[in-house]
Amino acid sequence: MSIVIPPPPDFSSHEEEVPEFNPGASSRTWYQYLLILAALVFAAVSVGFVGTIIWNSAPEWAHHTGTLLGGNGWQSPAGPFGGLAMIVGTLETSVIALVIAVVIGLGASISIVFLIPRRFRNIVATFVELLAAVPSVVYGLWGFLVLAPWMLKTVIPWLDSWPFAKELFGSVGQQDGQSLLLASVVLGVMILPTFVAISREVIAVVPNDLIEASLSLGATRWQVIREVVLPTAKIGLFGATFLALARATGETVAVALIAGGVANVQFHLLYPGTSIAAWIATEFGEAQGNEVAALMALGVLLMLVNFGLSLISRWLVSRQRKVLAVV
Amino acid sequence: MDQEFMAQVETKVATPSETLERGAAAMQLKNVAVSFHGRTAVRDCTFDVTKNRVTSLIGPSGSGKTTLLRALNRLHDLTPGAKVSGQILLEGTDIYRGDITVTELRTRVGMVFQRPNPFPTMSIYENAVSGLRFNGVKKKSILDEAAETSLKSAALWDSVQGRLKVAASNLSGGEQQRLCIARALAMDPEVLLMDEPTSALDPIATLKIEDLMTELKKRVTVVIVTHNMQQAARISDDCAFLLMGEDRAGELIEFDTTEKIFNNPIDPRTLDYTLGRFG
Repeated sequence: MSIVIPPPPDFSSHEEEVPEFNPGASSRTWYQYLLILAALVFAAVSVGFVGTIIWNSAPEWAHHTGTLLGGNGWQSPAGPFGGLAMIVGTLETSVIALVIAVVIGLGASISIVFLIPRRFRNIVATFVELLAAVPSVVYGLWGFLVLAPWMLKTVIPWLDSWPFAKELFGSVGQQDGQSLLLASVVLGVMILPTFVAISREVIAVVPNDLIEASLSLGATRWQVIREVVLPTAKIGLFGATFLALARATGETVAVALIAGGVANVQFHLLYPGTSIAAWIATEFGEAQGNEVAALMALGVLLMLVNFGLSLISRWLVSRQRKVLAVV
Repeated sequence: MDQEFMAQVETKVATPSETLERGAAAMQLKNVAVSFHGRTAVRDCTFDVTKNRVTSLIGPSGSGKTTLLRALNRLHDLTPGAKVSGQILLEGTDIYRGDITVTELRTRVGMVFQRPNPFPTMSIYENAVSGLRFNGVKKKSILDEAAETSLKSAALWDSVQGRLKVAASNLSGGEQQRLCIARALAMDPEVLLMDEPTSALDPIATLKIEDLMTELKKRVTVVIVTHNMQQAARISDDCAFLLMGEDRAGELIEFDTTEKIFNNPIDPRTLDYTLGRFG
């Protein structure tokens, strides 16, 4: 029996045409062009949007930055256009709203996750998310028609009975009750569902492992919440806070309806005031020339603030994910 | 439960060997059953957890080992619809009906979980003393001493001594698990429950924990759930074998010394399982 040695394979003959990988134009079909076109249009619209706002506000930034950021009083139509009242008003209403929303919202989130029976939990959570989706004009109307009369009748007489109430809050400036305080309260009610929706989720994803571990060490339920759940969820809760703050600073219609629309730096909360967003909305209709540029400049300011708040919020949420990833 | 049924139970469960001189029981289980929303998950568990011994719970998935273990420090209290029947005695006190609060019970019966779960926001030191802090200990000298002692008992002190303030998440998986053991030991518990404590660890980290357990049983009674039969054979003194019954509820098949369970069990199913014929 002879041993047959197979001939070595002949590699030289193996010269098939391998089609080159070419992602170039020739291989594309019409719908790919359409998709690329859509993307280009989107990019152009975005750049155009931001660009034109900045461009239109440029004259104001060039000549009156100081007035815009630090001046009080809005002299329509010739100017000067001081933006301080709006900036201060935005700060006041947003911060008070945030305090209201965080204090109530944190308690609500904790009880949704830990105290409400499992059956109702999803119903409540869905309801909260629906509340967050209610258009703000509805909140504004409610503030104007329901909350304002109630505050005039009940809350303000009670506030007035405090010592130094007048010095602190001033007295009611407008008959139908429009004021910075009213705007703050309505904003607080409005951003409450936003805050609860996110903070509830952040709290709910704290691993059960950690809760059981702390219970197994003899922790009470309250200690578990205070010393394990909240610290673990802390960063995400800050994220929820910043998102709620972003919503409060950008809110327009509700504040325009109930803040009173007076452009004057005001620290007495019972007096009327305004915010950046609300002022833009109410003044735009009749604005001309330099006033348009001033309003645009306020818009740029608001946009930057909101960009910043959203970025911080996203960064915090991603850090929270990292915290949970190591658990 | 009617008499007839009880009689069946009696005959079904093999009785432990009488020859062994048993020490005092740290925990006694009498006809323990756990059900969720009326569905029995595990039943008929009657055996003693003897002091200063390692008792392992073995059996295939679904046989109710973990469910039984979690009944021993009342972790089922949190689960809606969970019901524990029968009696579980800790030093003679019924832990469900007796004169003992659930927080006190849990300080006396500690638990280590399947996945290492140190508190991610706390440092190594804070993790070690977290149980004491939950129970109101504030004095720094006491906490410092407890941290050192418990970390030493968990064979972790030498490697973390210089970085106690570092976040616990910086430790390796095996170190994290030993930190969890230290955290439980800091409470100076009588019984330590361990739910597959090495299943998430590599072989070397596993060996270290196993060595630790043999050391630990001098001062604490250990009950361990394990999937790993070699582990049960290596480290446990007593062994409870559970199996899923026809109605999918786990039940105790046999309880005895580990040696007897692995070498000369009474029930043929125990032999089949330990020989690896199923499971």
